[in-house]
Amino acid sequence: MKRLALAAAAALLLVPVARASDRHPTLAELEGEVMCPVCGTTLDQSNSPAAQQIKRVIASRIAAGDSKSEIKDKLVAEYGDAILAAPKRKGFGLLAWWVPLGGIAAAAALLAAGVWRWSHTREREAEPPHLDPALERRLDDELARWDT
Amino acid sequence: MTRTARLTAQALAVVLVVGLLALLVWRVANDSTKGVSQALKDGEKPTAPAFDLRRLDGRGRIDLAALRGKKPIVLDFWASWCVPCIHESKRLEAARRQYGDKIAFIGVDTKDFSGDARAWQREHGITYPSVHDGSGSVLTKWGGLPIPRIFFVARSGKVVGELIVEEDLPRYLRQIAAS
Repeated sequence: MKRLALAAAAALLLVPVARASDRHPTLAELEGEVMCPVCGTTLDQSNSPAAQQIKRVIASRIAAGDSKSEIKDKLVAEYGDAILAAPKRKGFGLLAWWVPLGGIAAAAALLAAGVWRWSHTREREAEPPHLDPALERRLDDELARWDT
Repeated sequence: MTRTARLTAQALAVVLVVGLLALLVWRVANDSTKGVSQALKDGEKPTAPAFDLRRLDGRGRIDLAALRGKKPIVLDFWASWCVPCIHESKRLEAARRQYGDKIAFIGVDTKDFSGDARAWQREHGITYPSVHDGSGSVLTKWGGLPIPRIFFVARSGKVVGELIVEEDLPRYLRQIAAS
């Protein structure tokens, strides 16, 4: 419970930082979040003319006071969704975030069910076999005779 | 799990795997992603893939399919960051003065920032209309990077050639003007 409260407090502390980053983005952080349209890498990995053009556009929008999301929206309007290194966390883009998590959860559930079933089968196998009641009675009689 | 249920699950798994394999084989055999450029290299004359894109100058849109049967087309894929595009677009601009009444010259500004593209057109005196293909999805259908790529489309809508060497320009212009 204490840990949960600490995590929640840490998350709350990070909210203003994220908001500040959105309001006052830097070229360096956007270069890592925007793709170069002709090289298949993020802008910070490319010096191609197309990448340099987008860096200039971003720098001019930062200077004009645009927020990070405004700049990204402008780039998406010009180049389409593929200009963003990570899909948007809304609409259809949400699928890209939740499908892998759902897949991992489903795989974990399947694995857990498999392990549970396997361990219970082994427990059942470890139990001694039940004897036929007639045979059991006969065995008791024989043992009783040995005791006397 | 009962024996019947297990057999059903196994059969379903086998059907799924066989189905996926069949889909893979069909996809490889019927590769529809081959661009116009590759089709031309293979000796085909493909129908020009249609597009309907916004004009760079803001004066509406250009629907390529709507031009089919009306006029032959020269299609120029360019971008303002592409240095060799300057030379080719200027040659097309000169050709437009000669063939402009018979042939439609259309530029496709691709993977580009439209503000820079408009400035580039003004700077280099390019007057034929261009559309904006920011995502490059139209370019992909025609053969992808690198640019410039220039295609010649006959009046029928069939692509008859791509500019490879300088001499191709007057030759294809004469050919499609007569189509």
